[in-house]
Order: sequence, then structure tokens, then C-alpha cells
Amino acid sequence: MKYPTQKIAFWYFLVAMILFAVQVTVGLTMGWVYVDGNFLHDILPFNVLRMLHSNSLIVWLLLGFFGAAYYLVPEESERDIHSPKLAYLQLAIFVLGTAGVVFTYVFNLFEGNWLLGKEGREFLEQPKWVKAGIVVAALIFLYNISMTVLKGRKTAITNILLLGLWGLALLFLFAFYNPANLALDKQYWWYVVHLWVEGTWELVMASILAFLMLKLTGVDREVVEKWLYVIAALALFSGILGTGHHYYWIGTPGYWQWIGSVFSTLEVAPFFAMMAFAFVMVWKGRRDHPNKAALLWSLGCATLAFFGAGVWGFLHTLHGVNFYTHGTQITAAHGHLAFYGAYVALNLAIITYAMPLLKGREPFNQVLNMASFWLMSGGVVFMTFTLTFAGTVQTHLQRVNGEGFMDVQDQLWIFFVMRFGSGVAVVLGAILFIYAVLKPRREVIDPGPVEQARLQETPAE
Amino acid sequence: MDVTRAWVTLMALSALATALAVFGQGATWAVLAILVAAWIKARVVLRAYLGLAGAPDWSRGFSLVLGLFMLAIMGLSAFT
Amino acid sequence: MSETRVTAIDALPGEFMMWVLIMSELAVFGAGLIVFSAVRLTDLSGFADAQAQLHTVGAGVNTVVLVTSGWLAARAVGLAEKGRVRATRVSLGGAAALGVVFLWIKGAEYADKAAAGINFETHSFFTFYYLLTGFHAAHVIAGLVIFALVAWKCQPRLVETGAQFWHMVDLVWLLLFPVLYLVGRV
Repeated sequence: MKYPTQKIAFWYFLVAMILFAVQVTVGLTMGWVYVDGNFLHDILPFNVLRMLHSNSLIVWLLLGFFGAAYYLVPEESERDIHSPKLAYLQLAIFVLGTAGVVFTYVFNLFEGNWLLGKEGREFLEQPKWVKAGIVVAALIFLYNISMTVLKGRKTAITNILLLGLWGLALLFLFAFYNPANLALDKQYWWYVVHLWVEGTWELVMASILAFLMLKLTGVDREVVEKWLYVIAALALFSGILGTGHHYYWIGTPGYWQWIGSVFSTLEVAPFFAMMAFAFVMVWKGRRDHPNKAALLWSLGCATLAFFGAGVWGFLHTLHGVNFYTHGTQITAAHGHLAFYGAYVALNLAIITYAMPLLKGREPFNQVLNMASFWLMSGGVVFMTFTLTFAGTVQTHLQRVNGEGFMDVQDQLWIFFVMRFGSGVAVVLGAILFIYAVLKPRREVIDPGPVEQARLQETPAE
Repeated sequence: MDVTRAWVTLMALSALATALAVFGQGATWAVLAILVAAWIKARVVLRAYLGLAGAPDWSRGFSLVLGLFMLAIMGLSAFT
Repeated sequence: MSETRVTAIDALPGEFMMWVLIMSELAVFGAGLIVFSAVRLTDLSGFADAQAQLHTVGAGVNTVVLVTSGWLAARAVGLAEKGRVRATRVSLGGAAALGVVFLWIKGAEYADKAAAGINFETHSFFTFYYLLTGFHAAHVIAGLVIFALVAWKCQPRLVETGAQFWHMVDLVWLLLFPVLYLVGRV
């Protein structure tokens, strides 16, 4: 850690990890609802659990992005964060908003209230006052980060990061526009949901990944930047009109079926480029960075993002296929692996990289952390396969044979049991990760003789 | 090939394609010949206008993909 | 290793990021034309009837217009490299003027279709026709804006990048025209 204000990132990462624990715990609970059918149905109905699961995911990922920005921008811009006070105020607003959201969802005391009641749009259920708080916090954040970048050194990484973060904040404004016409509502709703995860978030992802590659592999900045610009261009080129793959069946004109199919097929390209980027950088790397766990998470992120977002996305993106698979467990399979690979693993990568430095604990092998990678990733991948098979069976029974929804759900029971098992692995992995990041003071495996000889020839950074 | 010769070539191929369209009466051979003319035109633009003639490796890559594309189009058009 | 990759990129003439865009655009139009050709096989006579309503002569003239415009743009690159600012601007202006002619002819065809009550939904042929030619026409408009910018700055590197974009627009039309207008006519 070179700049004192990078310490801000610690608190963002900490809150992010707490919400991460909440998210996977609620997820596991939902997994049991799928198995049992009526679990908790009087106290916390499934729809409330789902809101908590998806909302806490999004908030902790955002907090992770903010933390990553507070960590990497000082190093890139070669100066401290403009105002640490504002950064902590921003975090406080987010914590308050999150508490408000959980309270509103669970107790639902203000149903229908314009300002305090939940809004009932999937993923954008937050009451208006929380949405306003998010905007205020985002403005504080953008002001703080932009001022730091403007006064310091400008790099491709901060350029793309800022482009992504500004885009993210501006697109959130569509969360306030809620037309009565359901088709229009959905159309604008995707401006937030799709253009976040398949547009601006990809820019954030690419720039954080580029920062990690720069630090972990020691490849020339010039090379990293070239890759970064190509990835950003591909992401925007394919992602913006790729929104069309959500417009197949919501009442928009038929030409969206072709626009969506063609452009969203190309959305595989930036994810492939990111995977190629990560591996090529590691192969060419001249630096032997001791933080192997961060490298593992970075490569895991790029690979699982390619499969989850790229391959599993393509699986059901062509409208001829989506006509049958829309809204089945195939979607759930894609959603879980895509979010895990692209954004969860990315956040855990930057946390794994930054935490030992923030806590002054290097050198640090983080073997426990690596174990948590395999446990968690194994769990999510297994979950993805069970859900894919469940979705395939569901598509056939429900969409081809025309059986009733609940009859089909009964027949999918064995898959939901297996999914619950994989969920247990994910929760254990998440707890292990959080423990590994926060607790052990010293955890170094002594290198063997060959590695020792090599390390003496090429000293690490 | 300098840009002016490229232009003359493109114009000549366009004239040829027009003649094929008018006199070919939609026969399969005429359709395929028109597509071959388009194929050559695309190569001329890539090599002369976009300068790939000076980058042989890239030129080969583009030629390959363009070739596969044109074969796919010709295959799909042969049955009209 | 690292060096060979950098030289591979450097071997490409002109601006590398423009090549990334060109490849992306060609992928999109290429996919569109292949899908169009495949869907046509499901309804040959319907596609032929719809296609008969197109203005083939106008589109043919547009080919000549765009090819000539591309030639002027290519000349502008050579002139800019020789430092002949005025001649570069005249050449770019000519290329842009022909771009306007292209849009005018295209616009006349669109207006005619609209007057005949033909739109996106009339037949799946027209869905593809409007998507592909409309998307292409949007690129022609973008090309005009790019011409204005590079003619204003008039640096050789920028003129070359602008011309690259225009040649891509040209190339796409050379493939669109025969597939949409000529193939499948009875």
C-alpha cells in the first residue's frame, strides 16, 4: 500500500464480504425452499428471499467495485483520494440504504407508499428513498474518484474504469422511470439491468482485471492497455445492441429478434478476449508475484466468466432457442455461473490481492484462500450443471410436451436436491474465504529447492 | 495495385455484374457469377483501399474468412 | 513472444482500433447476410415477390457512387501524406458529397416503400432489408461526420483512419447489394 487513503478500500471490502455472506446464506435457504416446497413460507416467502438474494448480490458487488476503485485509483493516478471523508460518507449511505432495504422487504410496513414502499420491479424493488440515496452516494463517489483522476496521472485503466462507473451511475437513472405500460416498463428496465451487467460492468471488470494483470504479471503497461481498449470496444459494440436479446417476447417489434440474436452472439467475444488476455499475460509475465491466490482468482474469473457469461449465455440467446428455454432453469444456470465468474470472482480477486497489502501482511501465500476458490468454484460449477440439466428436462416437459408448471417442478426434485448440496459447498467456501482474508496473521508455505533457486535468480517485486 | 486501378477494376466488375443480372435472367450460373464478382470486389477493397496488400499475413486471414463467407452465401443462393 | 504479437498488430496498415471496429462490423453484416440467405430458403417465392419491389437500378447507381466515393477517400490519404491540405480537403469533400448522393437515392427508395405501405413487418424479406440497409445507411451518416472531423484537423493519420471507416462502409455495400437485390430474382 503506497498511499494512506487506499485504506478506504478495506472498509468497502469488509462490508462487501458481510453482504456476500448474507447473499449466499439466503441463497442456500432458497435452495431448501426448492427442495421442501413450503419452507419458511409464512415468515419469509420465496419472493422476499429472492429479493434479498439478488439485491444483496448487486449491492456487495457494487461495494466491491467502489473498494477496488478506492484501492487502484491512487496507485494509477499516483496521488491520494481527493476526500476520504466523502468516501466514508458514501459507504455510510450505502449501509443505511441496505439496512432500509432489508427492513422494507422483510417487514413490508409501507406497502404502496410512494416514498417508503417497495417498488415491485424485479431487482429494482428498492423504495424510492433508497434509490435516491444510491444516486447521492454514486454522485459522491464519482466526484471523489474523478477529482482524484483529473488531478493525477491518467492511464487507460482509470479511463476505462471511469467510463464504466459513470455509465453505470447514469443508467441507474432509468430506475426512476416506471411507465404504466408493462412492455415499456420492461424496455427501460433492461436499460439498467442489461446495460449494467453486459455493458458498463464489463468495462469495470476489464479495467480491474487489467490492473491485476499489470501488478501480478509485470507485463508492460503498453501491452495491457492495448488489450484493455480492444476488450472495452468489443464489450460496447456487442453489449449495447445485445440488449435486443431481452426484447424477443415483451411486445417490442419483431426485428429485435434478429438484432438481439446477432449482437448478443458477439457478446461472447469480449469475454473470450478477457480470458485470452489473462492467460497470455501470465504466460508472458516476467514477474513472480508471491500472491498466487490473487492470480488464481484472476484466471478463474476470466475463465468462468467466459463459460458462464459467454458460453452459457450463447446457449439460449438465439431467439429460436430462447422461444423454448425462456425463463426455465437454463436461465438460472446461466445467471449463477455468469455472475459468479464475471463479477463475484473478480471482486474476490481484487480483495485477495489488496487485503494482505491493506493489512500489512505480505508475503502471504493464502493457501486457505486458494482452497476456498476450489470449494466455491466447484460448488457453483456443479450447481450450473444441475440447473442446466434441470432446465433441459423442464424445457422438454413443459415447453415441448406442454405439461403444467407445477407438475414439471415436482419431476425436477432430484436436481433441486443436488443443487442444494452444491449450495452448501458454496456457502462453506464463502465462509472459508472470508475467514482466510480476515483472520490468519501468517500463512506462508516455504518454497521447495527448485522454486527457491529460481526466486533467488529473479527476485519478486 | 494503386487506388485508381482499383477503382477501374471495381467499376468494371460492377458493369459485369449488371450485365449478368440483366442477361442472366436469374439463372443459377448468373447468380453465382455475380457473387464471384462481389467476392473479387471485396478482395480489391481489402487489398488496395484498406492496404492489406502490404500485410500478407493479415491478408491471408481476411481472404480465408471472406472465402468461407462467400462460399456459404453461394451455397445458400444456389437453390433460389 | 511479446514482440511478435506487437509487430503482428503493427503490420496492419492504419489505426488498429479501427480494424477492431471493421472486423466487428463485418462480423455483424456477414452474420446478417448469412441468416438472410438461410431464411430465404424457407420462402423462396415470398422473398422473390418482395425483392421484385426493390429499385435495383437506383441501388446499382449507388454502387457506382460509393465505389467512386471510396476512390476519392483513398486519394485523400495519399494527398494528406504529401501535406497537400487543400487538395486533401477537396478530395474528402468529394467523397462526402457522393455519400450524400448515396443517402439521397437510398432515402428516395425508403420514401417509395413507405408510400407503398411497406414497412418492417410487411414480410420477413423487408425486416432484413430494412435492418441491413438501414444499419448500413446509419454508417454512411457516421462516415459523413467522420469526414467532417478529419477534414477539419487534416492530419495524415486521422485522414487514413477516416478513410478506413469509409472503405468498410463501401465493402459492406458491395456485399449487401448483390445478396439483397440480385440473388433470387426470377
